[in-house]
Amino acid sequence: MREIARDLLESGQVNLVIGYGRGTGILRTTPVFIRKPSDAGQLVYNPLCGNNLVKYLLDQRNKEGRAAVCVKGCDSRAVNRLIQDRQIDREKVYIIGLPCGGILDPDRVEGAVDPGEEIKETVISGEGYDLITAAGKYSFTMAGAGSEKCSTCQNHNPVVYDVMAGDPSDTPDIKDDGFDDVRKIEEMTVEQKSAYWDRQFSRCLRCYACRNSCTACSCRECVFDQVNTGWVSRSSNLSENTAFHLIRAFHVAGRCVDCGECERVCPVGIPLRVLNRKILMDLKDLFNTATPGLTPDGERVLGQFSADDPEEFM
Amino acid sequence: MEKLFISRDSLKKLLDRLARNLNLVAPVKDPEGIIMFGPVADAGQVLLEYQNSTLPPKSFFFPQTERLFKFSYGQEGMALEDMCGSDKRVLFGVHPCDLKSILSLDPVFAGAYKDPYYINKRENSAIIGLACSNPSPGCFCATFGFGPDDGEGSDIMLTPSGKGFDADVLTDKGQEIVASYKDLFEKAGDSPRIAGETRLTVKKLDLTGIKELLDGNFELEYWNQVFEKCLGCGICTYVCPTCHCFDIYDSSKGGCDGERYRSWDSCMFTHFTMMAGGHNPRPSKKERVRNRFMHKLKYHIDRYGLAGCVGCGRCVKSCPVNIDIRRIISDLGEVSRNGQL
Ligand code: SF4
Ligand code: SF4
Ligand code: SF4
Ligand code: SF4
Repeated sequence: MREIARDLLESGQVNLVIGYGRGTGILRTTPVFIRKPSDAGQLVYNPLCGNNLVKYLLDQRNKEGRAAVCVKGCDSRAVNRLIQDRQIDREKVYIIGLPCGGILDPDRVEGAVDPGEEIKETVISGEGYDLITAAGKYSFTMAGAGSEKCSTCQNHNPVVYDVMAGDPSDTPDIKDDGFDDVRKIEEMTVEQKSAYWDRQFSRCLRCYACRNSCTACSCRECVFDQVNTGWVSRSSNLSENTAFHLIRAFHVAGRCVDCGECERVCPVGIPLRVLNRKILMDLKDLFNTATPGLTPDGERVLGQFSADDPEEFM
Repeated sequence: MEKLFISRDSLKKLLDRLARNLNLVAPVKDPEGIIMFGPVADAGQVLLEYQNSTLPPKSFFFPQTERLFKFSYGQEGMALEDMCGSDKRVLFGVHPCDLKSILSLDPVFAGAYKDPYYINKRENSAIIGLACSNPSPGCFCATFGFGPDDGEGSDIMLTPSGKGFDADVLTDKGQEIVASYKDLFEKAGDSPRIAGETRLTVKKLDLTGIKELLDGNFELEYWNQVFEKCLGCGICTYVCPTCHCFDIYDSSKGGCDGERYRSWDSCMFTHFTMMAGGHNPRPSKKERVRNRFMHKLKYHIDRYGLAGCVGCGRCVKSCPVNIDIRRIISDLGEVSRNGQL
């Protein structure tokens, strides 16, 4: 990955590489923006590289030159989506694909490590990872400390890339996602569902991290920033927060690539992914469609027009 | 100052009774594992030991959304209805950093400009502080000259000791509570307080030279190295116990009636400094990121002589892209010594 980045910058093929760098402490990595070949050594890749870096391509939209971005399988679907929406130009991005065996959830790792330490090396071991630090070895299994989203991962390798950094992952992709998380909520009674979501939404801070980290959120001006239109006010209470969440869920319908970034960033643990996955599940049922972004020219269920659409009332 | 002791059992009784007689607000954990301050009905759910809550108790003085007044317009002209007022309440279990943060907010809302909404809640609240028996790895309060057992800002400060808590009664409000529940308190014993040890585990960062560096340099090449990864969300400012920016809105369901409210705002949002004519003096993430750290490490000190950060570590834990104020502090220290990183 470092060599690829160095070569790309040295040869002038790209003028920026967006990747992961060492964060503060073992639990975190941080996005880095590499512009000099000599800085390529700052890049790291380990099971704590949770961020979806594709969002940053939107900042490069109107800039000169080509940018490279490092993507895992789930993130790569977002690249396809942005290309389909003409948000980014395929010619202006260079995609460094990262094989992935699953990401660890910092909250589930936290108790077991000294957060001040740093990862020296990561070894894939069995169904998980050994993180080697100066103090020794910490072992985690995906079942015990993995990110929730990785248990339903359908692309452990990127679906679009210009070069792969390393051998492809041989972790088996999940072919038919049972949407167990969604079904669990669907099994609740109406009252239980309402109490469940009320509790979640009343915690929402309206910090908009879910929106700002989401690659499907590419509007130049977001409806939630248009206070004067009266759709959703800036007051934070259960009713406005609920409106915010329902509008957002419907707005990203058919464009959400199920990367889980919104849920990862939420500071108050709102299970946002399950909202979006309910819609994804219904889209799959109704239109027999693939997860958005799976292929570069894939159909856009809610974003394309076709004259032989069997819509009865048209 | 009176030094008393309260056993664990008596403390639970105290909380039960406070909850019955006044409004009790305390740290609780919800089913998703998020720790927040909320109203409680009895001692049952109250956490007597916790690492910093996900959100600080700030909103009990400065709510995220606060209705200010109602307005209506009729034959008699404009009528206003004041919505200022608060019930008496006791805030229990506030850690030293959060106590300090309230002291940092006081001159903002109760200094030269008197904000009746804040002051009213402040006057009607008594605060029972709680020393941290197990500071979280992200805590760095020691940087700002206090530690996990510092009671300043509380009316009664509890510090774990032996089979209960030493209770230092620090103010008249504290004295009032003790007087009403005399039977539950005893004379302080001589069991050692735990917080002596926890004090040692808390990080102390070096602030030398940083204020001076920022005083002399509004523009610093360093900010170019930090801002690009910022997502421009409001997490860092909304989880922060000392951030206090708000915006004011009128809302009306049509007709001539409506209400005015204020709601938290964040200097990290694009629209924060947007002017009516469309000009934005902080046009990019760079200016916005710089502003947050300038506020924490310089402006608040300039204005009030108080630190704008109390080292609670909440923004460190919650920032999705790992913009870490501890790293910013150590980097700025480096820049002040060497002129660069
Ligand atoms: S969802 Fe798949 S590609 Fe994405 S982080 Fe998890 S295992 Fe990796
Ligand atoms: S990230 Fe979480 S708290 Fe912030 S706006 Fe989204 S759901 Fe609400
Ligand atoms: S809604 Fe969430 S899961 Fe879907 S694309 Fe956006 S961040 Fe990813
Ligand atoms: S800036 Fe961060 S560490 Fe400092 S008081 Fe605010 S939330 Fe806590």
